[in-house]
Amino acid sequence: MQQQDKYRIALLSAFALGLHGFENLLPSPIPWLRLGLANIVTLITLLLYGMRPAVMVTLIRVMLASLIAGSFLGPAFILSLGGGIASTLMMGFVLHIAPRLFSTMGLSIIGALFHNLAQLFLAYFLFIQRIEAILLITPVIILFGTLTGTVNGAVSALLMKNLIKYDQKVQNVNEIK
Amino acid sequence: MSLRELFHNTTLADRILFSLMIVLSLSGIAFIKDIFPDNSTVHIYVDGHPAYILPLDKNRVVSVEGPQGKTVVEIKDHQVRVIESPCNNKLCIQTGWVRSGAVVCLPNRVVVTLGNPAKHKKTVDATTG
Amino acid sequence: MKSRQHVVDNLNSRQHIVDSKQVNTKRAVPASYIQSTVYCLLLMLFTVFSCASQKERIFKKDKILMDTLVTITVVLGSKDTAEKAIDAAFSEIEYLEKLSNHYSPDSEITLINRNAGISEVKVSHDILKLLEKALYVSENTEGAFDVTIGPVIALYDFHKKIRPDDGMIKKNLSLVNYRDIIINRDRSTVLLKRKGMLIDLGGIAKGYAADKAAETLKKQGVRSGLVAVAGDIKAFGLKPDGKPWKIGIRNPESRDKEDDIMATIELEDMAISTSGDYERFFLSGGKRYHHLLNPKTGLSAQECRSVSIITKEGAYTDAFATGVFILGPEQGLKVLEKLGFEGMIIDSHGKSHLTQGIRNKLEFKRTVS
Repeated sequence: MQQQDKYRIALLSAFALGLHGFENLLPSPIPWLRLGLANIVTLITLLLYGMRPAVMVTLIRVMLASLIAGSFLGPAFILSLGGGIASTLMMGFVLHIAPRLFSTMGLSIIGALFHNLAQLFLAYFLFIQRIEAILLITPVIILFGTLTGTVNGAVSALLMKNLIKYDQKVQNVNEIK
Repeated sequence: MSLRELFHNTTLADRILFSLMIVLSLSGIAFIKDIFPDNSTVHIYVDGHPAYILPLDKNRVVSVEGPQGKTVVEIKDHQVRVIESPCNNKLCIQTGWVRSGAVVCLPNRVVVTLGNPAKHKKTVDATTG
Repeated sequence: MKSRQHVVDNLNSRQHIVDSKQVNTKRAVPASYIQSTVYCLLLMLFTVFSCASQKERIFKKDKILMDTLVTITVVLGSKDTAEKAIDAAFSEIEYLEKLSNHYSPDSEITLINRNAGISEVKVSHDILKLLEKALYVSENTEGAFDVTIGPVIALYDFHKKIRPDDGMIKKNLSLVNYRDIIINRDRSTVLLKRKGMLIDLGGIAKGYAADKAAETLKKQGVRSGLVAVAGDIKAFGLKPDGKPWKIGIRNPESRDKEDDIMATIELEDMAISTSGDYERFFLSGGKRYHHLLNPKTGLSAQECRSVSIITKEGAYTDAFATGVFILGPEQGLKVLEKLGFEGMIIDSHGKSHLTQGIRNKLEFKRTVS
């Protein structure tokens, strides 16, 4: 892996971590119904640089976040990790199989969906053995996941568009030079 | 980028996925109510058909019309009793206050059943005697 | 990772990914990893959702039939299949009621009664079976259980609190004799030998109905259920938690409290019935007149307060509970031991007499008075 790539991954992970931290500052009535802003970074990394960097960014972000929060290897960590990996792999898979089928927004929804599904699954098998409780909250979680996925997707799409603009601007500058 | 631009950038697959997820989760929320057992409710049946389904936690007096006349049921302090009934034996009134199970007025074909509160662990599934 | 040029190319495409082929060759993740991940995810999804839909739950429904409250409980996967099965069982009980209700002018029993001393009557399979079982119980209780008690019990009115005088009882006692029921299996007919005889199936019909209702449930595909025709109960199968159905036996002393249970017992593919002096009765002149009449004297049997019997068939638990009640604790217990039934007799002093086998199965609760 080139030095440049390592820098990129590090930078993106930092962004993801930053967004995650920022998100935690926002008040919310329900503890883990979160916006998942860090997923924007994951998605953009996936689109720009491919699967491996995206997975790395996710891993680094989850690890660091849990280390900082002091919940490393705890239940929150397991759920975050499971959700993050599942969502990243799934988005990558869809991109691999059918690149033009879904737009950025669609990929984000897929990511959110699998993030939630993986978390529900892990929660059932590892923590709450009662299927009734899990089934009770699943529809609500899927609903919120779809909505936040859409919002994150919109932000990601916007970012991608602006990145194009920026890149072109820079390129123009280079050409002038 | 305005909302409209954003929408135009979505593919058909995106929209289908979005709609599908919304529909599934909303219907899931609707059905959840169905799965769970009655939480402290009083069912009053006349001639086998449900006449009233009431919560146990609100005090009130209701009356139902049976083939023989009016049976009056009272809900108070999470208990139920039959106050008035046109039957001969008045067994239903004699039963007094009940917290669980049922009060029945056979001649007037009225059945008042109490759903088990979720916290109350029922000890038996049926009673003989 | 791609070079900057590639990045620009990517972004310039219509959507977001430009050339999947190029993208592929540059990617580092082998397709097999992705595939196995997907399979894992799909497998997880599949197991979670299939477990959820097959989860069996308990459904309960009640209806007034046979002049009492019938409650049917089933273990099934969905509310709709449960309702369908339970309603089918209710229909079966309704059908039996039409045949056996001697108060109804169109029932087969009424037809038999009307033709007493006149002619035999063709009857359906169920009535034939019911009467055969009733005769079996009569023979094994030395006539203590006798469905021809009809004329004597008709003299009592438990609502208006009327009891007959000795003369009237004596007169009608002559009409009581189960041996005068002539059943012809080949012709499917029943004959009551003497005019004025009346068959009353009250002591066996409910138990039989519980059996038939349970059969109907099984035919509908129910593997675990509970049929309670008032106190005549038939249980089969196990509850979702793997435990058998738990039945409570009411305390005969404190009848006014709906849920005062003296003991509980777990039933696995068995029936249970209880006969008590508190079911239909009135007090007059310091004496208790109840509906369990001794066919030899026409008077309420005095030796027991309640009798509970357990065996495979509900028809027998119902009828034998009546018979044993009338026979009294000692003779009654002997009958139970001889036939291999389990049972509990509470005598008039409140003392309990148990069969050998039932001792370990009963869980006594401390009575709260």
